[in-house]
Amino acid sequence: MEKTKTVILAILSLLALLGVSILGLLIYTADASADLTIKANHDHIKIDFFYHGSTVSVKGNSDPGTDLIIKITSPEGHQALKKKGKAAGFLWMNVGSLEFEHVPNLYFLHSTKKIEDLLSKDEIEKYLIGYTALEKHIEIKPVENENEKTRWFNEFVKFKESSKLYSTSHGKISTTSKNGRQDYYILLDWPFQASPGNYTVTVYAVKDGRVAEKADANVLVEQVGIVKTLFDMAKNKAALYGIISIVAALGAGFGVGLIFRKGGGAH
Amino acid sequence: MNFMYLYLPVALTSINILIPVGLGLAVGLLSGLFGVGGGFLMTPLLIMFGIPSTVAAATDSNQIVAASTSGTYAHWRLGNVDFKMGLYLLIGGFVGGLAGVRIVGTYMLIESLNSIKKNKTHEVKTEKESSVGKFLKSLPLQTHFEKSGVTHSALLPVIFGGFVGVLAAIMGVGGGFLMVPVMVYILRMPMHVVVGTSLFQILFNCIEVTFLQAYTNHNVDFILAVLLLLGSTVGAQVGAVFGRKLKGEQLKVILAVIVLAVTVKIVFDLTLTPSLLISQAGGH
Repeated sequence: MEKTKTVILAILSLLALLGVSILGLLIYTADASADLTIKANHDHIKIDFFYHGSTVSVKGNSDPGTDLIIKITSPEGHQALKKKGKAAGFLWMNVGSLEFEHVPNLYFLHSTKKIEDLLSKDEIEKYLIGYTALEKHIEIKPVENENEKTRWFNEFVKFKESSKLYSTSHGKISTTSKNGRQDYYILLDWPFQASPGNYTVTVYAVKDGRVAEKADANVLVEQVGIVKTLFDMAKNKAALYGIISIVAALGAGFGVGLIFRKGGGAH
Repeated sequence: MNFMYLYLPVALTSINILIPVGLGLAVGLLSGLFGVGGGFLMTPLLIMFGIPSTVAAATDSNQIVAASTSGTYAHWRLGNVDFKMGLYLLIGGFVGGLAGVRIVGTYMLIESLNSIKKNKTHEVKTEKESSVGKFLKSLPLQTHFEKSGVTHSALLPVIFGGFVGVLAAIMGVGGGFLMVPVMVYILRMPMHVVVGTSLFQILFNCIEVTFLQAYTNHNVDFILAVLLLLGSTVGAQVGAVFGRKLKGEQLKVILAVIVLAVTVKIVFDLTLTPSLLISQAGGH
């Protein structure tokens, strides 16, 4: 009997200990996340008929005096693009395609200072921060050597920047001190070229060349209304969509013809 | 929200409505004047304004349906459509269109074909007229085309129609810019009948191509097509009226200048270093 009591007591003590530990861990985590917060306002972008891009502001607060890096990316994927080159030595033509693996369609990176001044090389690569890290991370096929990879990666970035899907800056995040904390804020143009999908916004708090903390938020971009209806129809009811397109074109052409016949009759 | 911009659901991009309407108007004008669908100008222009290449080609076919309906109707009323010739061209065009849709996306081929074709057009114009004429007379199945006042082998329009049909599907061009010189210099049809007949044939080719593009490749952007056809249908009518006031020779000169200008642009594009060495691949 006495033995059973001892066993029960021991189990209860263990459970209590476990409970206290979990509670402690929870409090610690809560404390940790209170250090760095992030919020993307306008986190649900609706693509309607008159959509021409949007803006997204990212704000939150951090420990005073910390440097910050804000990264927005789409999920990584595969992209096939055409490359131009000289055919017969002087004619610029498409000379083949390039396959890009593990590459985000959108990549924004904004920081309080130059990335190289904030983070060590290892940290930059670990957290995929900046074009140099991205270049190392993605695969490009076919390329013969590292120089060729760098050349096509630079062309790729130029292409993406021209579509406003890639951008980097430093010094544009504004920070203010308030109640012993640091508030940060940046307003970003959201390009209409960014396709529907889920985008991740990450803020990194940097101390002594290392990422001390990070926090995430999401931006959802989706088609709504007539845009969504037409998109779905083009994909899922292709025959009907094709017929409607043709009938509308025939009707418009014939209709304008009739209008002009009436108008032109007087001459 | 800006009402000057509309979002294109299939092209997945936003465009200032004045761009497609203005392009439509300019290209429609050419269509009415010369019986060309204008795709050889429209597709590259749309790509220049950020429309993915495959969507540009497919949507342009849809737009040409409207412009050529408008133009054919105007020319039919003027008595300028040779339906018999149009029918033979169509038989070839239909088969060609089917084949062409299967090879959509191979833009390199188009670009090279494009320049080769232009060279051919010039050759025909300058040296080979008489020998070509003799050869054509020796072909079987000779038949008389009343409206055009010419006698040819029925095989000719079928073959040329087929060739142009392939192009229509690949490039989203009606093929008029090739068909018109062929009808004028090889088939020896009167210029005004050429314009009407070309439009008639283009109309049917583009109906087929639009359907196949929508059905198999999902590349037709309805909103973009509507914006383009707003301009092109009106342009086609104005062009038809204006064309009536010009002589056949004058029309030929203007068309030659435009074909030449496009050729010059292609030469520049091919020889000057492009600002971007990477571009969107077709399809996805």
